[in-house]
Amino acid sequence: MSMINEITLIAVVVAIACALPGVFLVLRGATMVSDAITHTVLLGIVLAFFITQDLNSPLLMIGATLVGLATVWLIETIQRSNLVSNDAAIGIVFPLFFSIAIILITFYAGDVHLDEDAVLMGELAFAPFRRLDLWGYDLGPQSLWVMFIILIINSVFIFFFYKELKVTTFDPAFAAAIGFSPVVIHYALMTLVSLTAVGAYDSVGSILIVGFMVGPALSGYILTHSLNKMIGITVIMAIINSVSGVRLAFFFDTTIAGMIAVVTGSTTLLILIFSPKKGLFQHQISQNRARRNLNKEIEKMA
Amino acid sequence: MTKLRWFSIAILLVLISGCSTDNNTNRNDSETVSIVTTTSFLTDLVETIGGENVSVTGLMGPGVDPHDYQPSTSDITAMGEANIVIYNGLNLEERFAEVFDQLGERDVLTIVAADALDEASMLFDPEESDFQTVDPHIWFSVSRWKQVTQYIADELSAYDPDNAENYRRNAAEYLDELDELAHYVENRVEEVPEKSRYLVTAHDAFQYFGEEFNFEVVGLQGLNTRTEAGTGDISEMASFIVEKEINAVFVESSVSPRSIEALIEATNSRGHQLKNAGELYSDALGSSEDDADTYITMYRSNVDTIVSALNEN
Repeated sequence: MSMINEITLIAVVVAIACALPGVFLVLRGATMVSDAITHTVLLGIVLAFFITQDLNSPLLMIGATLVGLATVWLIETIQRSNLVSNDAAIGIVFPLFFSIAIILITFYAGDVHLDEDAVLMGELAFAPFRRLDLWGYDLGPQSLWVMFIILIINSVFIFFFYKELKVTTFDPAFAAAIGFSPVVIHYALMTLVSLTAVGAYDSVGSILIVGFMVGPALSGYILTHSLNKMIGITVIMAIINSVSGVRLAFFFDTTIAGMIAVVTGSTTLLILIFSPKKGLFQHQISQNRARRNLNKEIEKMA
Repeated sequence: MTKLRWFSIAILLVLISGCSTDNNTNRNDSETVSIVTTTSFLTDLVETIGGENVSVTGLMGPGVDPHDYQPSTSDITAMGEANIVIYNGLNLEERFAEVFDQLGERDVLTIVAADALDEASMLFDPEESDFQTVDPHIWFSVSRWKQVTQYIADELSAYDPDNAENYRRNAAEYLDELDELAHYVENRVEEVPEKSRYLVTAHDAFQYFGEEFNFEVVGLQGLNTRTEAGTGDISEMASFIVEKEINAVFVESSVSPRSIEALIEATNSRGHQLKNAGELYSDALGSSEDDADTYITMYRSNVDTIVSALNEN
């Protein structure tokens, strides 16, 4: 398979894997959790580096995942206290973890090329070069397999806990009333978000994770009111964005992650403006219509 | 809709199973050897040695900090088709390390420039720390760069014996030019009085230059261009500059001038006149308009900038 096809395939798999948990992040108004994780993983990498003193150790990846988990769990706990809003909880945790990492680096490792990039590849263009070899067979790019497994985990989770996710997302009070604790399902969901973000970071880099988790899910959110349809539209948008992004990047000979992010942003914005149900355009039309009707009523009365 | 989800997953499965075993390395079969190089210094060197027998694709263009490099799609196509990959080593191209290892396992010859030098001749990061890091900026030592030239010429000759004669001849000519460059630098440096031979820059890129041509080199940041200089670094450095009566500092083409500007302000506020003496090329060559697009013109440009700035008292 040619390089462009492999990159396209990786992009599509990562996009869907990210978009599925992204649906629930959008619905719960916690989209920026993805941004927080892509920054706080640095703390995990730094801490693991102090233990191993080796930039190539697999422990650094594990450290990244654990701090990713700590990030989402801490955000979840702060939100649960109901003292602050969702985004404020993210705003507390993300700078705290990230700056601890920066301080540790300047204290102890100022002369080591130590940052996220050194451990997590974070470059979609390089993904086809890292291959998975088993028993002498070339099984394709390593990140394709990693993200495919994460995609399956995410799909299975949403498939089996669909009802629970739905009720805890839209009506947590009702969920609690019927004896179902939303806490477990939320923590499980956030764990998946963290796992997906760290896995995707290694394959595609940080900008794209935010784009993949937020863009397609937001498109789905604007286009429909049904959760089922929203998931479907999200997956379709994830595929459209990543395929056209990769093709355009090859056409213009530029950075792939950047191009996919631009396409994702553009399609989401277009849908936001022109959506037949909730779009800004439609909104303006119906407002004008309402005003005209109101004017007519006033004229009649006069 | 769940049907649709499973449908798309099924499609993916089919795609993946279809792509498993074929090795897609369609290597270039034409006459010339396809070579991919990382830094612009290596691109220049390999083009010089290889001449018409090779086609070189340099990944990092002029003014690009290796740390901030973003691959374009033509870069990765070139990497996919390359016969040989040549890189600096010593963790300079950290993000590529895994990719190059993988290419090495797939019939691509990987040449590491730093392999030309023995470990005893490496310099370490000057800052005391728990982790000893080798300074990767080996191109600023002309004598070491000569060893690299010889090494790459030998490796190319071994890979492509038919044209070995050409590679050796080109390398020999280039070694003479490098000797000439070293003479030029020595003569220019002589013009600077010994007590003012201080080179203050944003990050520690010029240690090899300092060692070879008797300059005291002081970098504001460590080797890593990503970490910012702290306030303590700046005020310490300002005291140092006042004490040694240094009157010129330099910015680097691929590093943000911010911290050097802060240093100038800090020093001037102590009543000592310090000026920004211009731009040095550190991690990449310049453009052809600045006449710094080859290793030799870049080196001359740096030395001219340094000498004329430090001589102005």
